[in-house]
Amino acid sequence: MTEVVSEHVMDAPDPITLEILRNSLRSITDETYIALTKAAYSTNIKERRDHSTALTDAQGRLVVQAENSLPIHLASMLGMMEELLDKYRTEDMVEGDIFVANDPYVAGGTHLPDVNLAMPCFAGGRLLGFVCNIAHHADIGGMTPGSMAGGMSEIYQEGLRIPLVRLFAGGELVQDVFDILLLNVRVPHERRGDYFAQVAACRLGARRLGELSERYEPAMLARSFDAIMDRTEARIRDGIATIPDGSYSFTDLLDNDGMGTVDIPISVRVDVSGRDISFDFAGTGGQMKGNFNLTFNATQSAVYYVLKAMLDPDLPNNHGLIRAVGITAPLGTLVNAEHPAAVAGRANTSQRIVDVLIGALAQALPEQAVGAANGANVTAVFYGHDPRHDRPYVYLETLGGGFGGRFTKDGKDGVQVHITNTSNLPVEAIEAEYPLLVESYGLIEDSGGAGKYRGGMGIRRVVRPVGHETVFSGMGERFVHHPWGIFGGQPGATGRFSVQGPNHNDETLPDKPNHVPLSPDDALIIETPGAGGYGEPSERDPEALAADYRSGKFSAEYLAKHYGFNPPTEQD
Amino acid sequence: MSWIIGVDVGGTFTDFHVYDDESGDLRIHKTPSTPDNPATAVLRGLNELAQDMGGDLTAVSRLSHGTTIATNAMIQRRGGKVALLVTEGFRDLLEIGRQIRPHMFSFQQDHPAPLVPRERRLEAAERVLYDGTVHRALGAEAIERAVDEVRDSGAECLAICLIFGFINPDHEQQLRDAIQTALPDLQISISSEVQPEFREYERLSTTVLNAYLQPIMASYLSEFEDRVGQMMPNATLGINQSAGGLMTPARARQLPIRTALSGPAAGVVGAIDAARSAGLANIITLDMGGTSADVCLIRDREADVAYDRWIEGYPVRIASVDVNAVGAGGGSIAWFERDGLMKVGPQSAGAHPGPACYGQGGTEPTVSDANLVLGRLSPQGLLGGGMALDEAAARQALEGAAARLGMTIERTAHGLLGIVVANMVRAIRTISVERGHDPRDFVLLPFGGAGPLHAADVASALGISRMLVPPAPGILCARGLVVSDLREGFVISRLTPLTAASKTDIAANLAELADRAAAWFDQAGVAAAARETQYSLDMRYIGQNYELQVELDGNGDGEGSSLEVLHQAFFAVHERNYGYHNPDDPVEVVNLRVTAIGRLPSPDSAPAAPGTGAATPQGQRPVWFDGETALDTPVYDRAALGAGHEFTGPAVIEQLDATTLLGPGDRCRVDEAGNLVVEFNHD
Repeated sequence: MTEVVSEHVMDAPDPITLEILRNSLRSITDETYIALTKAAYSTNIKERRDHSTALTDAQGRLVVQAENSLPIHLASMLGMMEELLDKYRTEDMVEGDIFVANDPYVAGGTHLPDVNLAMPCFAGGRLLGFVCNIAHHADIGGMTPGSMAGGMSEIYQEGLRIPLVRLFAGGELVQDVFDILLLNVRVPHERRGDYFAQVAACRLGARRLGELSERYEPAMLARSFDAIMDRTEARIRDGIATIPDGSYSFTDLLDNDGMGTVDIPISVRVDVSGRDISFDFAGTGGQMKGNFNLTFNATQSAVYYVLKAMLDPDLPNNHGLIRAVGITAPLGTLVNAEHPAAVAGRANTSQRIVDVLIGALAQALPEQAVGAANGANVTAVFYGHDPRHDRPYVYLETLGGGFGGRFTKDGKDGVQVHITNTSNLPVEAIEAEYPLLVESYGLIEDSGGAGKYRGGMGIRRVVRPVGHETVFSGMGERFVHHPWGIFGGQPGATGRFSVQGPNHNDETLPDKPNHVPLSPDDALIIETPGAGGYGEPSERDPEALAADYRSGKFSAEYLAKHYGFNPPTEQD
Repeated sequence: MSWIIGVDVGGTFTDFHVYDDESGDLRIHKTPSTPDNPATAVLRGLNELAQDMGGDLTAVSRLSHGTTIATNAMIQRRGGKVALLVTEGFRDLLEIGRQIRPHMFSFQQDHPAPLVPRERRLEAAERVLYDGTVHRALGAEAIERAVDEVRDSGAECLAICLIFGFINPDHEQQLRDAIQTALPDLQISISSEVQPEFREYERLSTTVLNAYLQPIMASYLSEFEDRVGQMMPNATLGINQSAGGLMTPARARQLPIRTALSGPAAGVVGAIDAARSAGLANIITLDMGGTSADVCLIRDREADVAYDRWIEGYPVRIASVDVNAVGAGGGSIAWFERDGLMKVGPQSAGAHPGPACYGQGGTEPTVSDANLVLGRLSPQGLLGGGMALDEAAARQALEGAAARLGMTIERTAHGLLGIVVANMVRAIRTISVERGHDPRDFVLLPFGGAGPLHAADVASALGISRMLVPPAPGILCARGLVVSDLREGFVISRLTPLTAASKTDIAANLAELADRAAAWFDQAGVAAAARETQYSLDMRYIGQNYELQVELDGNGDGEGSSLEVLHQAFFAVHERNYGYHNPDDPVEVVNLRVTAIGRLPSPDSAPAAPGTGAATPQGQRPVWFDGETALDTPVYDRAALGAGHEFTGPAVIEQLDATTLLGPGDRCRVDEAGNLVVEFNHD
C-alpha cells in the first residue's frame, strides 16, 4: 500500500488510492464504535447502541462516521465541532486533550443525555483532525430520572448542562470537572463506566489515526479528506438532479407538548432546481413549553436522513452531504429553538419532521415514498429502589412500532423507524437487572393501516413492578394524530399508555406521563402506534388478505370493514 | 492397512484426503460435487479411491465428513415445516427480534421473514423467573392444549423456547416429553438443550433454526450412514462441527445447527496441523476462494471460538471457529460506486460465467482477470487444470475501468488488486488489532485456490514478515478433517458475582461441568489418556452487557481459580480487548463452559522428499509487481521442489491447486514437511 501512496503524494488522490484510504478510515470509526458498545455500562449504549463515532478534519468537518452511527448524531457532532473551534484555538490544544460537552445551546448538542467527546489528533506537531463520539447516558440528572420524560419546560430542569470543557488535559484527567459531572447524575458509578468507555474509544481512534499518519503524509491525508467530501457532495447532487424540479409542501400536526399546547403544526416547503435543493420550515409552530423542541442541528439531521434514505441509502455520512443542502428554519420555532427551551424529547419531533419531509417529497418521488411511520420515539422510564440489591435503578427503553407501507410491499411490523434504530433490551436482561416483570411483548392486532400495501404494526408491552413500588414516566407521540397513509392508503392505529390494576381500570394515562406511581398490583401497558398504508386497499392481493387473516394480525371485522374481506368458511 | 479419510464437500469439488495409518502413505483426490445429493459424489469418490489404491474399503477405520447439507438448506430454504412453542405473551418475539432494521437508511431492505409463520407460533401458559423459580406453573391443561395445537399445526418439527428456560428447563422438558409421547415422529428441539444461554431472542432463533434443519439432516444422514456402513463396515463416522472437531451422526441429527458454519472450521484445523508440521504456534489464516476470503487468528495452535453469528440473516448462538469472512475472491467483480470510487466485490462472477478470462461469457473485470493481466496467473491456468485462460478477454474486461480512471490496464489491474487486498487486510485487522493482537507477531498461512497468490501483498500491508504455504493449499479442509478430534461443549448460564460469597457456587458449577464432560467421555468411549478438557468463564463488569471469554488453567479447582487469579485473568482480557480495566469495579460470571476433546490418533505428516540439486525454475515470464513495469520472473513447479530447496523472489510457484507469488527479495525455503517457508522482504 505504501508504494501506491508515495507515487501520488503531490497529486489529487486517484479513486483507487482514495478507496483504500477510506477503507482504513472506516476501520477506525467502526473499531471505536465497537469498543464503545462493548465497554459501556448504560443499557442505552451497550444493548441499544445509542451512540456514534466519527473522524473530522482539522477544520472540524465530518470525514467519516461509523457505519452504524445514528442519523440524529450526525449534525450533533457537526454542531459540537463548530462550537469547539469557535471557543478554543487549535494552537492551545495538545496531545491527550479530550473535550466533553452536551449542551444544545452553547455546545452544539441536541439533548442533554447525549454526551459528546472530541479528541484532537496530531502528527509531527500538526493537527490532523479529531476523533469524536456521542453516547446516550441513561441519566444526566435534572428533575426526572432518566432525564427523558415529558413535563419539563426549561433546559435547566432536564439535567446537567456541560459546556465545552476539557475532561482530559494533556492526557491527565481533570478531576474537578469529572467530580462535577458525576455528582449531578443519579447512578454515578455507571456513568463513570460510560465516560471511561467513551474516553477509551477516543484514545483508540487517536492511536489508529496516528498509525495511519505513519503510512500517509499528513498533507496527503488532508487532501484525501477534501476529496472524500467533494465526491460525496457530487454524488448527492446527482441524486437531487433526479427529483423533478418544483416546489413541494406538506404539513402535519404534533399531538401536544405535554404542557397544554396541542395540535402543533410542522410545515415544510421543498424547492428543487437542478442539482440544488432547499428546505424551508416557515409556518412551523413556535417553540413549545414542553420538551419537544429541536435545536437547528437536530432539524438538519432529520433532513439529511430523508435525503439519503430516499435518494442514496449507501451515501457516506460526511460534510459533503451537509453542504449540498440548504435549510431555513425561523428562529424561535420548534425546529430552531432558542435558549432556554426544553429539548429532551426531540426524537419524537424529529420522527415527525421525517414524516413531513416524506409527505412533501412523495409527490415528486412516489416510488421511494412510504406511509407515515409510528412518528414517535415512544419512551418508557422506570425509576425505583431495587429491593433485591438495595440500590436505586433507572430503566429506560424506547419502543419501535409500525413502518409505513411501501411502493412494492407492506410496511414493517414492530421496528424502530427512521432516525432511530436502537435495539430492545432482552426480557431476560430486564428481569435479571431490574425488579420488573415483562408479562407480554407482541404486535397489536389491527394496528397497521389498510392499503394495497398495508402499514406496519405497533408493539404492546406489559410491565409490572415486582416486590416494590416504581415510578413510571414516559413520552408518546401519534397518540392522537394517526399515522397517515399515502396514495389511498389508510391511517394506522394511534398509541396509548394505560394501567391495569385494582385502583386503575384500564385507565389511560396522559401521553406524556410524569411520575406515575405503580404498585406490584399494577400492570403498565405500553402501546406504540402502527403506520399508514400505501395505495388503495381495494388493490390488495387476495392472498395477502388471506395471510392477514390466517396470521391473526388482523381481525375479521377489520378486514371486512377496510377491504370487504370475507373469511373462508370452516369447510375450506 | 488402516485408512483414515477426510472428505470435504465444496460447491464445485468434493475433496478427499487419505492417510494410511500403518504405512504413512498419503493420497489426495478430487471429484466433481453433486449438489442435488452430495452423498453421491462422496460415495463415488470413495469408490474411485479404493480402485486407485488397490485396496478394499473394509480397511477404512474412520471417515470424517464435512457436510454442507445444513448450510445449503438454509440458503435454499429447504428446511422442515416448523411449529414453535413459547411462553404465553411472547408469540411475536421471533418476528420482532431486536426491533431493529437491517439497514439504517434503507426503506426497502428487510430482515428475512421468520421461519415459523405466526399461525404456527403457539403459546404455553407458564412462566419461570430470572432465578429459576416458577412464577406460573405449567398445568396439565396447558400441556394438553400444547399437544393438541402442535398436532393441529401439521408441523414436522417443533422448537420449544421458554423465557428463562436456560435457568430452569423443567417446563421445556415436560412439554417436550408430553408432545413426543403423543407425536412420536415429530422432531423436537428445546432451547435448554440446543443452546442454554441468556438472551431469549438469540436462543429462540437458534432453537428454531435447529428444528428447521432437523428433518433434512436426519434423512441425509440416515441414507449416508446406510451406504457408508455397507461399503466400509469398520469405519467410524464423524461429522464436522462449526467449532472444529467431530461429533457422532446421532448428535448431528439432534443438533444440525452445529454443522451450519462448519465449512471454514475444517480449513482452520488443517491450517493448525500444517503449522504444527512446521513447528509454528501463532498464525493468521487466509482462505481465499472464488467468492470470499475467510480469515482466522490462531494462538498456541488454538483458534478462538465465537458464539454470536448470523446465518442467512438469522442470528444464532453456536460455538464456531472465530472466522471473519469478506467478499474477496478470485471471481470478485470490480465496479464503480456512485461517487466514482472503485470497489471490488462482494459481487462475484462465481463459477459460471466466471471471470472474463475463463472465456465462458463473463465480461466484467474480476480479481482473476487482474492477476492474469499482471502475469501473476499463468495463461495456461492451473497446472493440470486443463483450462487455459484468455488474456485478451481479461484485458478487454479491464479496458472500461482503465479508460474511466485514465490509467493503463496494468495500473488499473494493480489498483484493483490493491483494493481487494485492502478489504482482506481490514478483515484481518478486525480479528487481530481490534482484539489486542499485533499481526506482526503472527505467521500468515494462506490457503484456498487464491490465498497464496495474494498473501505477499496482504502480509506487506500488515507488516507480517513470514508466511507458510502448505503442500496442498487447495484441499487443506479435507486434511483438517483427517486430523480432527471428537469435540463437545457444555455450558451453564448463571449470573454470579465474582465474590468470596459466591465462590462455592462457581466451584459447584465447574464441578457439574466436569461431571457432564466425564459422562460424555464415557459414552463416547474416549480412553483416559485421550481425554482433554478446557474450562472458560464468560465474564464482565457488573453493569456491562457483553461478556469476555476468559480461559482457566486446569479444571478450575484449587489455585487456578482463586478469586485473585480469576480477577487478574479477566482484567488482562479486558485490557487486551478494550485498552483499560478498573481493578476496583465488581465483576460477574455469566456463563461457565467446558470443552471436552477426545483426541483421536492422527498421523504425522509424511516427510517431503528431499530436493535434488538446486531449485530450478521451469521457465520465466514477465510479472507486474507494481503498475509501471514488469519484472522477468522465474516460474517454479511446486511438484519439482523438495525439502531443503531454497530460492529468492521474484518468483511464481505453480501447482495443481494453487499459485504462490513471491515479491522481489522474498526468500523461500522448502521445509521437511514440504511447506514453503517464506521470509518477506518488505522495503
